[in-house]
Amino acid sequence: MSLEVRGLHAGYGRLAVLHGIDLTAGEGELVAVIGANGAGKSTLLRALSGLLPVTSGTVHLAGTDVTGYGPEKLARTGLAHVPENRLVFPSLSVADNLVLGGYTRRRGPAAARKEARDRAMALFPRLEPRLEQAAGTLSGGEQQMLAIARGLMAQPRVLVLDEPSVGLAPRLVGEIFSALGQLRDDGLTLVVVEQNARAAFAVADRVSVMDRGRVVLEGDPAALSTDPRVSGGFLGGGFAADADATTEAAPATGATRAADRR
Amino acid sequence: MTDLLQLLFAGLSQGAVYALVAIGFVAIFTVSGVINLAQGEFAALAGLVAISAVGSGLPLLAAVVLAVLSVALVAVIMERLVIFPVKRMTTLVSLILTLGVSTGLKALMLLVYGPNAEGLTPLTPGSFSLGGVSIRYQELWILLIAGVVSLAVYWFYERTLAGKSLRACAEQPVAARLVGISLTKASLLSFLIAGTVGAIAGVLASPIYFTSWESGLTLGLKGFVAATLGGLISVRGAVLGGLLLGVLETLTAGYISTGLRDAVAFLLLIIVLVARPAGIFGRTAEARV
Repeated sequence: MSLEVRGLHAGYGRLAVLHGIDLTAGEGELVAVIGANGAGKSTLLRALSGLLPVTSGTVHLAGTDVTGYGPEKLARTGLAHVPENRLVFPSLSVADNLVLGGYTRRRGPAAARKEARDRAMALFPRLEPRLEQAAGTLSGGEQQMLAIARGLMAQPRVLVLDEPSVGLAPRLVGEIFSALGQLRDDGLTLVVVEQNARAAFAVADRVSVMDRGRVVLEGDPAALSTDPRVSGGFLGGGFAADADATTEAAPATGATRAADRR
Repeated sequence: MTDLLQLLFAGLSQGAVYALVAIGFVAIFTVSGVINLAQGEFAALAGLVAISAVGSGLPLLAAVVLAVLSVALVAVIMERLVIFPVKRMTTLVSLILTLGVSTGLKALMLLVYGPNAEGLTPLTPGSFSLGGVSIRYQELWILLIAGVVSLAVYWFYERTLAGKSLRACAEQPVAARLVGISLTKASLLSFLIAGTVGAIAGVLASPIYFTSWESGLTLGLKGFVAATLGGLISVRGAVLGGLLLGVLETLTAGYISTGLRDAVAFLLLIIVLVARPAGIFGRTAEARV
């Protein structure tokens, strides 16, 4: 297993958000984690990448116990986190954003850094003509591509992405997800947290559905997409909607409806 | 005309010192949001260490190097003892903490070096006259070294990986951590830069403006004003702000009244904070996130 999460509990101070998450992603597998707003998806990623301390449970990365590692050490060990809202370095050039993406590999062989960069450029050729431009001047879709490319520069074993589709036009969402599918086909392990379930289902090998800090359903996307609990309850209408604002307003009702069904 | 040129030149060399102090404020503030009120004390301490080293027989250059190194060390120790342990640093907390350090350093300097103001031996003594404008060699040194140091700092932030990583911390701290940059190391590095640059300002200024245990207060405040003129987040803005402040001060002292000299800085500060909080050279889009 490239990524193995067992019984993960985490939260903010005394507020517990995750109540025992189990999640595995094998080598070359793309796992989508979906759920309504507030289900704990982003918290899960923050705990995975060390931004948030783990209360209990374990995280293994390619067989190494990385529970309790800080983000700097995790980045070195091989987990790259593409954060929500992209968070590119706005005043730095696209090229410098990429260089910083490879920060943990700065003492490694230059050939490996160049290869990582060439692969990222091949994946997102749109970035190539923009290399000298300040990252803050890119469009939303290009910034998302840059954020993913920056993550790849760390030459990770596992790439986790937080809502890569948010705020993007459907055409761009398709472009981003097909790039993720390509990375998976090249052998990278990916965990994608999404509210845009349709986009996620289209490329995922497996899907975990989260609700209120727990994984409530798990399985094959084809089977899950026809499951009435997915389309009706846990996503708060998110499955029917494409990446638009309707998903933003839904979480409260989604949570209550999910509770009714139990 | 000669008067004006004389004042402009004196203002530029004074302003170059402010500029270096201002770079120190910017270096620290951008990385961690800390406003380091001990920045002026770095300069004063460097001046005093150099003066006492020369007094005990060390050659001038060795004394200057010793002063800069010891102040850089003081800055690094300060970061580890006072800034690093704080879990949730805010600008307000940083003001209180660094004010404490500033007061402590002043007391220590008074205790060790006594209350007298002294001037370090100039790098080159004497002066010459150019078209009626009297120029001290030390002023040329100030302009030259301050220029070189400013360019070096600018180059560091624009061209080196370490410099870019500091800018990344300033712009997106979360993303910086995710790519593996340690914020605590970045903060330490920013103090090292601020200590070094502040110390250079101190030893450069000492032969002309004199150094005492309390000279860091004015120098620090002027540097802070200069940095604020540039928006507190830009090295270029800090340098321009320093030069502008220096020139305005000497012009005020020359044409209006010497007594108003120190008021200029604070008048400027109030005007800028009310009219252009992002600094007069800054763009609002560059605000620290």
